[in-house]
Amino acid sequence: MREKTDNHDWMITPEGEPRGYIDTHKLDELWFHTGTNCNLACPFCLEGSKPGDDRIKFIMPDEAGPFVHEAVEMGVQKFSFTGGEPFVNPHFVEILGYALDYRPCLVLTNGTEPLRNQFAEVAKLKQKPNPVSFRVSLDHPDPDKHDESRGKGNFRMALRTLGLLHQEGFSVSIARLMEPEEDAEGIDAGYIPFLEEAGLPHDMLIIKFPDFATPGTIPKVPQVTEHCMQTYTNEASRAAYMCSFSRMIVKKNGRCGVYACTLVDDDDEYDLADTLRDSFQVRIRFKHHRCYSCFAYGSSCSEGT
Amino acid sequence: MSTFKVASVRFHTDNIIELSIDRNGIAFTPGDCVAISNADGISRPYSVCSGVDEPELRFVIRCMPGGVVSQWLAALKPEDDVEISPPFGWFRPGQSDEPGEPSVFFATGTGVAPFLSALRSHPELKPKMMLYGVRRREDAIALDYLEARTPLKLSVSGEDAADHHHGRISDRLNQIPMQENTHYYLCGLDAMIDEISEWLEQRDVHFTNIHREVFFNA
Repeated sequence: MREKTDNHDWMITPEGEPRGYIDTHKLDELWFHTGTNCNLACPFCLEGSKPGDDRIKFIMPDEAGPFVHEAVEMGVQKFSFTGGEPFVNPHFVEILGYALDYRPCLVLTNGTEPLRNQFAEVAKLKQKPNPVSFRVSLDHPDPDKHDESRGKGNFRMALRTLGLLHQEGFSVSIARLMEPEEDAEGIDAGYIPFLEEAGLPHDMLIIKFPDFATPGTIPKVPQVTEHCMQTYTNEASRAAYMCSFSRMIVKKNGRCGVYACTLVDDDDEYDLADTLRDSFQVRIRFKHHRCYSCFAYGSSCSEGT
Repeated sequence: MSTFKVASVRFHTDNIIELSIDRNGIAFTPGDCVAISNADGISRPYSVCSGVDEPELRFVIRCMPGGVVSQWLAALKPEDDVEISPPFGWFRPGQSDEPGEPSVFFATGTGVAPFLSALRSHPELKPKMMLYGVRRREDAIALDYLEARTPLKLSVSGEDAADHHHGRISDRLNQIPMQENTHYYLCGLDAMIDEISEWLEQRDVHFTNIHREVFFNA
């Protein structure tokens, strides 16, 4: 296993302690970043996505294909897609269809016009040999709070899209924002009347995300050291970190790189390699502020395989 | 983002401009937007209104009171630089999967832009009807062209306008074609889009035949 860089800051905390790390031994899930272009401009977006944004470029079918093949050879169980809004990428349905020929897929979406305008194409994906599931963002069980960031009427539209996807026979889940010191069960229960309204099951999976801060910001968080990892984690909990079992493909400046996980694409030190296999030779240090969120909250963008 | 030269800024009314920029070979599909940035890097998406074979990219833009991008754009001069994103979009007026399926267009205000782009790009495109709503008669963009290309029904909500309906486009929904495989394309402010979408769905139009592009005022 090698270090990505010999930068002192990569390996050592400002207090002089060795940073915690993960060595990856299996690839269960491969994420594709479809691009930071999004039809919405939510102020809290961890990707900084907005209309026309091209910090991360649209990935193209001929760029995604080789990673699909390499991942299948490495035993991947699932492909997942996030943005931006994936359906803003004009090639996304084609890429998704291709991936579904090989493995089940998960798509994170805001459930608004870009998906709705392509719903007829999306519905055809039911014919593929593997299933696709959709995770739709409903930030709060309060439509006004959701719409405050995402635009008027978008809670209702996303809820409706969830219902339509469910009716088509797709598996669906909700992504919501986590509040500090929240009553998680109480907040989740707040969705039930809306789920009923949309004809959705009460026990839908609700994935909660803490505030990850916007790209490039450096919130002051505790450093995760080797000592922290030895004290507070065990083999099983370390195996649950996304960087233990997944990677994400990110296209910047005309090149696709393999990043350690879905949350660190604003730091090029996490651009591990050009291929998935080479990325497994690199030790992943807990340097990014979102590594602390993962460490503290057990955050995972995954839904299991 | 890439830098382009302004070709012209033409005031259509006191608060609607047509911005033209040198195209430099940039490719787009009718219905696409680009994000245009002001000098501080703040951007807003605007739909292209020109045709795919035209030498310039054109946009019709409402200058919002206090609008940090639209007011900045209105002050540009020929040869000034603007930063724009690559074109992107998912709204494709008149371009359903099955060629020849009938279409009906609904536009309010500068939401007419993607329809103009589609009509200018595809001479064969013939919507069954176009409902276009503006507040003042003078706000209507390319009215002669639209009347020549479509069975146009213009509604003017804010004043009496001779020969045109005084009111909103939603007043005239009972006049639209309701043939089974018709596709309905709506672009403009969210209230109009939601109202007409709901009306169509209540009349058993499948939601996959309702295509929406929401313009936000920002």
